Amino acid sequence: MKDFEAKWQRLVTAARQAPVADDVEMPFGFATRVAARALGTARPGLLAVLGRFSVRALWLACLLTLASVAVNYLGAAWSGTDEADQSYFDPISETLGGES
Amino acid sequence: MAEETFDLAACLERVRQRDQLAARQLVEHLYPLVIRIVRSHLPRRVAEEDLAQEIFLKMFTRLDQYKGAVAFTHWVSRIAVTTCIDQLRAQKRRPEFRWADLSEKEAEVLDTVLTSEGEVAVNDHLAARELVYKLLGELKPDDRLVLQLLDLEQHSVAEISQMTGWNPSLVKVRAFRARGKLKKLFEELQRKERS
Repeated sequence: MKDFEAKWQRLVTAARQAPVADDVEMPFGFATRVAARALGTARPGLLAVLGRFSVRALWLACLLTLASVAVNYLGAAWSGTDEADQSYFDPISETLGGES
Repeated sequence: MAEETFDLAACLERVRQRDQLAARQLVEHLYPLVIRIVRSHLPRRVAEEDLAQEIFLKMFTRLDQYKGAVAFTHWVSRIAVTTCIDQLRAQKRRPEFRWADLSEKEAEVLDTVLTSEGEVAVNDHLAARELVYKLLGELKPDDRLVLQLLDLEQHSVAEISQMTGWNPSLVKVRAFRARGKLKKLFEELQRKERS
């Protein structure tokens, strides 16, 4: 199509001359709603503080978990040693052995 | 609010201090500018009020980034234009364009343009506008935008560059490619009309 540009320009020129609805009246309450949403939800300071606290809380929780596992393991290990010692103690044979 | 009594700099300062009233006044002041951009680039099935709201929310979120290098209205216009492009990109592509998609008036206008040298009748200007939007709607969002701004709204390359953030060479290249695609669409429509 050799004369595409001319055809397109004719169409666009006609389109430009069409009446445009220039009603720019704002819907009722639009500005209030937008202002409230923009300033009400955008609280980066508060979010940042909460975010920082939650990360610290996560680290603390991990540390406490590791500490409690370690304490329990050590406790079990020590009590296990005592039980091992006690397993060699046979009160009956001790008594019988003592009598014989 | 009267245009001449609106102190934009003072209003922006108050908005930065999270003054709700100032934020409301800023929205009221900028609404005509934003809604005109939204209407001219409105993607299908998107409510203009929703899109305008999204633009204003972006504006408030990025307000700290505004350093005053360009006029505030230009800065807001760019947010509006890029938001509209993002919406257009998010839309699925239309199925193949057919003559049956056109209204009777639009088909008449297209026929006049394709087959004769005559001008479009005055009472068909509205149909011509609808037709142009339908044809542009067949292009990719960036191509559509550049032709709309250049041919329909008659902005200069420099203005488009400022509105979109694309450099002037990119604007020219996009316009050239977009015209090529539109030309193919015209040829296709003409072939279909003959058959």
